[in-house]
Amino acid sequence: MLLPAAVLLPLLLLLPQALHGGGWELVGQFAAAALQPSLDPVVLQSLLRGLAITCAVALVGWAVSLVLGVVLGLASARVVWQSLSGRCWPADLLARLLALPRSIHELIWGLLLLQLIGLQPAVAVAAIAIPYGALVARVVRDLLDALPRASLAALLNAGTPAPTALLTALGPPLLPGLLSYGGYRLECALRSATLLGVFGLGGLGNDLLLSLQSLQFHELWSGLWLLLAVMLPLEALIGRLRHHWSMPARLSLGPQPQHRTVGRQGRQMLVLLGSLLLLAWGAARWLQIDPAQLLHWQPLPPLGQGGWQEALALPWPSLIAGTLLLTLTAAALAVGAGPLLLLLVAPWRPGRALLQLGWMLGRLWPPPLTALLLLFVLKPGLLPAALALGFHNLGILGRLLREACSAADPAPEQALSSSGSGPRLALLYGRFSRVARSYLAYGAYRSDVILRETVVVGLVGGSGLGSQLRESLSGFAWQQIGLLLVAYALLTLVGEDLSDRSRRQLLGA
Amino acid sequence: MTALLTLENITVRGRRQPRLDGVNLQLRPGERVALLGPSGAGKSTLLAVANGLLEPDQGQVLWHGEPRASGARARRRQQRRIGMLWQDLRLIEELTVQQNLNAGRLAAWGWPRALLNLLVPLETQACRELLLRLDLEPGLLVEPVATLSGGQRQRVALARLLRQEPELLLADEPLASLDPRLADELLALLLREGAAPRALLLSLHRPDLLAGFDRVIGLRGGQVAFDRPRSALTPATLADLYADAMGAAGAG
Repeated sequence: MLLPAAVLLPLLLLLPQALHGGGWELVGQFAAAALQPSLDPVVLQSLLRGLAITCAVALVGWAVSLVLGVVLGLASARVVWQSLSGRCWPADLLARLLALPRSIHELIWGLLLLQLIGLQPAVAVAAIAIPYGALVARVVRDLLDALPRASLAALLNAGTPAPTALLTALGPPLLPGLLSYGGYRLECALRSATLLGVFGLGGLGNDLLLSLQSLQFHELWSGLWLLLAVMLPLEALIGRLRHHWSMPARLSLGPQPQHRTVGRQGRQMLVLLGSLLLLAWGAARWLQIDPAQLLHWQPLPPLGQGGWQEALALPWPSLIAGTLLLTLTAAALAVGAGPLLLLLVAPWRPGRALLQLGWMLGRLWPPPLTALLLLFVLKPGLLPAALALGFHNLGILGRLLREACSAADPAPEQALSSSGSGPRLALLYGRFSRVARSYLAYGAYRSDVILRETVVVGLVGGSGLGSQLRESLSGFAWQQIGLLLVAYALLTLVGEDLSDRSRRQLLGA
Repeated sequence: MTALLTLENITVRGRRQPRLDGVNLQLRPGERVALLGPSGAGKSTLLAVANGLLEPDQGQVLWHGEPRASGARARRRQQRRIGMLWQDLRLIEELTVQQNLNAGRLAAWGWPRALLNLLVPLETQACRELLLRLDLEPGLLVEPVATLSGGQRQRVALARLLRQEPELLLADEPLASLDPRLADELLALLLREGAAPRALLLSLHRPDLLAGFDRVIGLRGGQVAFDRPRSALTPATLADLYADAMGAAGAG
């Protein structure tokens, strides 16, 4: 479990070479500003407006993705096709097709739509809804096809029409899993909406980027604390609800046997879902989103002559190698640093609180901003990009690790402590050994997410396919963009397959 | 009077030998028939054919004198009149008792009511009466079935079956996993509910429980070994039915 942390050694060795002298005062100013955020009403008002836009975009994008995902998930579930028509192949076909929108990061969708349609509120929403919808569809399909079918068969055999039988036999077991995953996706949507803002699609992210570029660190921190003030209650609320409805924690990825009545709880869940969807509708009205905008394409510049030769002449091997190296470094950093840091601060209570605060900021802070900040002191390249991505994902993995550790049985740790082991060893042997397998399995899943996210820091000027994509996008080189997207999608799909396999191996063995 | 169920010369092929080999059987309203036979004799296959789950390779199945309907809708109407008590019960664990009972009505209900059933209690009076008829507390209606005991679950499954209002009751070894007292109670309920105008076809492997049946059919190697009123059954016939299997098993 600590093995991935070994990547820290070469990184630490490389770090001095990558430093470029100046910029330390700036970092100092940035850190100091954390405690003195700007309280200027004008600044706060603009930040609050940005925050409201970001939240609204996240909510609407999430709601659309959920509806889209459930519909597509039903349409791509084998059990649904089997019961309705007796054939399975349309489900498999649709599932394969859905891999494409899923494999492209929401940022790329956002930038593509931005080029095609121009700056409209609908662009950010669609950028979130398309990949998220495909992700939700995959989860719905997997959940549905993993449910036991005996009761469905019994209903069908008693002469029940297939749609009604599906609703009654599979609806109630599906709902908790869907809601649990949906809650997690809402957190992600908020992060994504902030990220899209950084790239100019409106909202708080834009304010954050501008204040960072103009070195207004006090204003930057006001925005960050505001974002934290939304994110923390949201995470806490979702955690509470998940606990209240005894839903599986996220670290236990496999399906768990759980039998819940849908009676009262089901009504609570549906009321919550319904009111959120209504709220999203209100937010969409406020943002003045018009779906018809998505159909008004701007005239595209004509395809350049010889664009294909140029596109093929790109240094593909080094681009792909750069992307993979970035993924592996960031993933090792994110997976390995969590347990190591927890061990280091184990005996020291304030340290633990500090660590949690750091992780919280990591989750919140869009990786491109971290990369920009690192550029104050580091030369552009793989290192700042990997550090930025690693930091962000460390925030997500660290939280899961802490949750899993506190849920694990404390008895072995107590036994070790009382037999005279130090607190670090007791934690390592008593708790980590319990959660190691599922933590690493989740890490495998996370690396596949990181692969998709490399584009985010690549666009800031890191390395790999992302940087190239940024150049091609701003140059309207559509042939290059097309090939780059295909390369990205292929890479992501292969990565997804690999991480699926390693996860199954970790959990199955 | 038309027979509720007619099997004509049914053959179902198996890997080495046929699972059913030229089986003929008629079930009239009011008849309660026990299906006996050693393991592998074809009892489950016969029930699957009678239920329409399994299409025979040869022969014809008639329900109410009619062959299997061709249209999906007509087929569902036909299926609605055949009720099956599954060995694994197949209750929907996430739902309450009442919702599970109403699942038996889904064949008759449309979409809106099916959706409503998941949200609010429907037809409480009818459900209460059913529970009372099966000696269950009406208070159980709001409980999730996952919290019930084994005996209660059996009865809830039977109640759901009755809620379907079938004419033909089929049950595949429903007593297999029950202790003797529960088995006696469930059997008594099944025999009572299987009386006219319904009919009951039940497979079991305990010759000591035949007392309430009208007719007994012995199956062996996929063929009907005997089919006679229970009153005409002698211990020797029963011994033959199982002894042969023992001999075959010993020889094999």
